[in-house]
Amino acid sequence: MYEISSDENEFEDWFIESLKIYSNIHEYQLEHPTRVIEWTGEKNVCVAGYNLSKNEILELLLPLKLFADDNQGLCAERDFKVVHGGFTDGSIHCLKHIPGTRCVVTNDGSSSKLQVWDVGGDDCDVIKKTGDIHLKTASLDKGVKIDSPLTGNASVLHGSQVNDIQLTELTSGTPLYTLGTDIPDVLSSLRFVSGSVFLACSVNGDVYVGDTRSPSYLQKSPAGGREGNHWCMGVRADSSLPEPSSCSVARLSSSCQAVVSDLRNLKSPVCQAQLNVQRKTTSDEFLIVTWAPALDNCLAVSGFDGMVQIYNTASWRPELMEFQPIFIHRGHMMSDAHFDTSSSVVTTHVWHPSRPWTVLSAAGDGSVHVWDWVDNTTASSKSLA
Amino acid sequence: PTGLYAVPRSMHVSLSISSSCSFSGAGQDVGRSCILVSIGGKNIMLDCGMHMGYNDDRRFPDFSYITQQGRLTEFLDCVIISHFHLDHCGALPYMSEMVGYDGPIYMTHPTKAICPILLEDFRKITVDKKGETNFFTSQMIKDCMKKVIPLNLHQTVQVDDELEIKAYYAGHVLGAAMVQIKVGSESVVYTGDYNMTPDRHLGAAWIDKCRPDILISESTYATTIRDSKRCRERDFLKKVHETVERGGKVLIPVFALGRAQELCILLETFWERMNMKAPIYFSTGLTEKANHYYKLFITWTNQKIRKTFVQRNMFEFKHIKAFDRSYIDNPGPMVVFATPGMLHAGLSLQIFRKWAGNEKNMIIMPGYCVQGTIGHKILNGQKKLELENRQTVIPEYEPGWSLEVKLQVEYMSFSAHADAKGIMQLIRMAEPRNMLLVHGEAKKMEFLKDKIEQEFSINCFMPANGETSTVATNPSVPVDISLNLLKREMALGGPLPDPKKPRTIWRASLRLVSPEQALKELGLSEHQLRFTCRVQLQDAHSDSDTHIRIYTHLKSVLKGYTIQHLPDGTVMVESIVIKVSSSPEEPNTKVLLLSWSYQDEDLGSFLSTLLKKGLPAALSSM
Repeated sequence: MYEISSDENEFEDWFIESLKIYSNIHEYQLEHPTRVIEWTGEKNVCVAGYNLSKNEILELLLPLKLFADDNQGLCAERDFKVVHGGFTDGSIHCLKHIPGTRCVVTNDGSSSKLQVWDVGGDDCDVIKKTGDIHLKTASLDKGVKIDSPLTGNASVLHGSQVNDIQLTELTSGTPLYTLGTDIPDVLSSLRFVSGSVFLACSVNGDVYVGDTRSPSYLQKSPAGGREGNHWCMGVRADSSLPEPSSCSVARLSSSCQAVVSDLRNLKSPVCQAQLNVQRKTTSDEFLIVTWAPALDNCLAVSGFDGMVQIYNTASWRPELMEFQPIFIHRGHMMSDAHFDTSSSVVTTHVWHPSRPWTVLSAAGDGSVHVWDWVDNTTASSKSLA
Repeated sequence: PTGLYAVPRSMHVSLSISSSCSFSGAGQDVGRSCILVSIGGKNIMLDCGMHMGYNDDRRFPDFSYITQQGRLTEFLDCVIISHFHLDHCGALPYMSEMVGYDGPIYMTHPTKAICPILLEDFRKITVDKKGETNFFTSQMIKDCMKKVIPLNLHQTVQVDDELEIKAYYAGHVLGAAMVQIKVGSESVVYTGDYNMTPDRHLGAAWIDKCRPDILISESTYATTIRDSKRCRERDFLKKVHETVERGGKVLIPVFALGRAQELCILLETFWERMNMKAPIYFSTGLTEKANHYYKLFITWTNQKIRKTFVQRNMFEFKHIKAFDRSYIDNPGPMVVFATPGMLHAGLSLQIFRKWAGNEKNMIIMPGYCVQGTIGHKILNGQKKLELENRQTVIPEYEPGWSLEVKLQVEYMSFSAHADAKGIMQLIRMAEPRNMLLVHGEAKKMEFLKDKIEQEFSINCFMPANGETSTVATNPSVPVDISLNLLKREMALGGPLPDPKKPRTIWRASLRLVSPEQALKELGLSEHQLRFTCRVQLQDAHSDSDTHIRIYTHLKSVLKGYTIQHLPDGTVMVESIVIKVSSSPEEPNTKVLLLSWSYQDEDLGSFLSTLLKKGLPAALSSM
C-alpha cells in the first residue's frame, strides 16, 4: 500500500466522523468565493463574488434531496442549480433580499452606492441591474450595511456609520427616515427587530436601538469595557410579532468573546463566554455570529479560521468563562485535494429559516457547504431521559 | 474573366436528428445524442443514441432527414461514438443494419469491448422480455460491431485523404472520449459526456489547446454546481453502514464494468477502518470479467488505480469474497454486489426477490435503469411488482408472480458529468472560436451563454433539437503560383513561404457562379472597363462616306459578326464602337475613334490593327 500522510489521515478521520455527525452534507465548489449567502426563498439563496473587478451574482436552488424528507432515498438530485445569474463590475460585500419582492440590494464594501437588482422569474435566467441608490449622507467609504423591514413598502435601511443610518424607499430612492445623531462610529451590523425598531452595532461593540417612526429616538448600550477591537452582532427576533418583546442579542468580539443580552436590558449581559477558538487570521472582516432561528439558545460563529462553531448558550453564565462548542463544522479545511488549516477562512454562514439544523457556509477557497448537523448533546440527553 | 469566385465557406452543425429531452423517474435525466456535423464538405455523425424514455420508433433518431436524399453510406463520411452509454450508442445497430450504413464507425477500444455487451443486454430486455418486435437482433449487433474501427487516445486517424480524427480522454466512464474532427484548417471538437474532476476510478478530461472552430459540448449539467464526489461516497457508506448495523442485508445491483470497482474499493477501505465483520460478497464471474477488462484498459483508469494494480490484483480484497447462491438465505447482515445492474434477470433479481419483503434490508441502485425493468419500477417508487404471463426466457419469472417491495430503495448516481465550471475549464483548455451547447434548455442557459461570450469573446450557440447552427470559417485555399509571379514577389522582398512546406494540405472545393451572382454575394458593384484608341487614316471621302466604306470593309472581312451602321453614322462591331471625324483643314485625314469593352479586347485589338492598314481603294462608297 502507498504511504499515508498525516494530512491524509486527518482527512480520513474526519470523513469517517462525518458519517455520524451530519445527517446530510453537500459540498460545492464555486468558481469564485462568496462572502454573502442570502435567502431569496425557502429553497433559494443568492451568492456573489468579491473580486476587485468583475463578479457574478448567482441565485442557487438548493438540492431537492435535502427537502425530500419522505422519500429521500429515491431523490437523486443533490446538485445546486444555478437558476439565475448576473454580472457586476464591482465587488459584493453586502447583499440583502427585499422581502416580498424579487429584488436584492448590494454594496461593494467601499463606496456609498447601493445597487438594486431584479433576480428575475421563470422566463429568463439573467439577473439584471435595475438601478442605483446614491447615498448623499454616507461620509466615509467604509462600506454600507443593509437591512430591510419585513413589512410595509419595499425599502432599505442602510448606513456605514451610526450618523448616516437612513431608510430609503426602493423604487423612488426617497429618504423615509434619517437617524438624527452625530455619532461617527463605524457600523458592523444593522438589523430590524420589528416593522420599525432596528438595532445597530458599531465595530467598538456599542449597540444602538433606533425606531424609523421617530428620528430622534436612539438608545445606546455600550460594550462595557470588554476585550476586542472589533465587534459584530447577531439578533434573534420573533419577526411575527409587531413589537419586539424578548429578543436575544449576541455580540462577538475579535478576541473571541461572546456576550448575550436581552433587548429589554441591553446594558447588562444575560450570559457570556470566552469561546474556544484559535484564531488563524488577523483580519476581522469575516467575523459573524448568528442565532439558530428554529432552535433554542443555539448560536453559530465563524470568521476566525476555517471552521463554523455552534454553541449552546443555555449553559453559559453571567460571568465570563470558557465554553466548548457543541458542534464544529471542519469541512472547509478538508478540501478534496488537501487538508488545509490556513488558507480557507470561513467567509460567512447562514441558518435555514425553518429547518432547525440546516446551515450553509462558505469559505475563501470558493467552497460552499450545506449541512444538517446532528446535535449529539441533545440526542444523548434524550436517550438518557 | 472567369466566373469562378471563392466565397467564404461555412460550417454546419445540424442537430436535426438529435434530441434532448428529459423525463423524470427518480430524478433520472436521460436524453439522446445524435449530432450531424458538416465540415469542409464532409458529413460526420457524432454518437447514435437511443432515447430511453420511449417504447416506440421515437426512441431512435429520425434518419429520414438524411435518407430522403439518398443512402446513409453515401451521405456520411463516418460515424463516431463517444462512449458506451445507450443514450450515445443505443441506436447504432438500428442505423447500420436496419436503416443501412456500411461506412466506418469509430470508437475507442474499451467502448468497442463494452458497447456490444450493453446493446445485447438491452435487446434481451426489449425483445425477449417485453416481447417487442421491430428491434435489432443479436446478429445485427455483431454485424454492426464488425464495422467498428477502434481508436487510440491522441492518435490521429486519417478517415480519408482530407478528413482526420483524434480522440482525447473524457473521464466520465471507462473508454469515454472527446473527439477532434479536422478537414484542412477547419476543425470541430465534440465532447460527448465528460468530467473535469478526477475520481477514485477515472482521471479528468484533457484536451490540447487545439483551437477548434467549434467546440460542441454536452450541457445537461451546465446550469448545475455539482455536489462533491466525496459526499456521494459518504452517503453510500452511511446507508450501507446503517443497514448492516440494524442487521439488514444490502443488495447492490451493478454492471460489471461500471462503477462497481470503485464502490468495492470504497467499502473495503471502510470495513478495514471500522473493523466491520459483516461479509461483503461479489458475484462470481463478475470479478473475472471486470479484471479482464481492467487489465486490458488499465491505461484508461486513474493513476492511483494503475499504481495499485501493479502491486496487487485490484479485486483481491480482504473483506470482499466470492458469492455463492446458497448464501442468499444466510441469516445476519451482508452486502452483495451482483449483476445485472437493472434487475432484469440473473443473480441480482434472484437475490432481490428473496430480500424485498424485509424492511430491514436495502437495495442501492448505483445507476440508470431502462424502462420495463424491475430496477426502473422500484426507482419510480412502485411498491408492488407483478409480471404478466408472457413468454420469457428468464426462469426466475413465473406467471402471475408478484412481490411486495418492503426493503428500503436508494438511488445513488455516481456518474460524473461536467458542470458549469467544468465547461468553462474545457473552453479554457481548448480555446475554441465558437461554442455550441447541446442537450440543455436554452431559456435556462442565457446566463451561461453571456458568461462564455464575455469571458472568452467567442460566440455561443444553443441550438434546439432539429435546429441547424451555421458557423462561418475562413479556410485557407492553396493556389498554384506561376514561377514568374513568385520571382517578381521575391524581387519586392519580404518573407516567402517555404515551397517545400505547403501551408495547407487541403484543396478547397470552389464554387462556379455567374459574375452577377458573385458580385451580389461579395457585395460589389459592377464596373465597366473600356479601351479606346485612335487610328489615323487617309481617305479622300466625306466623313459619312468613310463610315460606309468602313462598314462595307468590315462586313466583308468579319463574317459571322454582328456589324451595324447606326443612324448617327457610328459603326458597331459587337460592342466595339467606331466613329469617324476630320478637321476642316485636312478633310482627307480621318481620325477613327475605336472603343471596346474589356470583354471584347481580342476583337478590339484586331480591328485597330486592321484599320491601321487603311481601307482598300476598290471599296465602293455605295
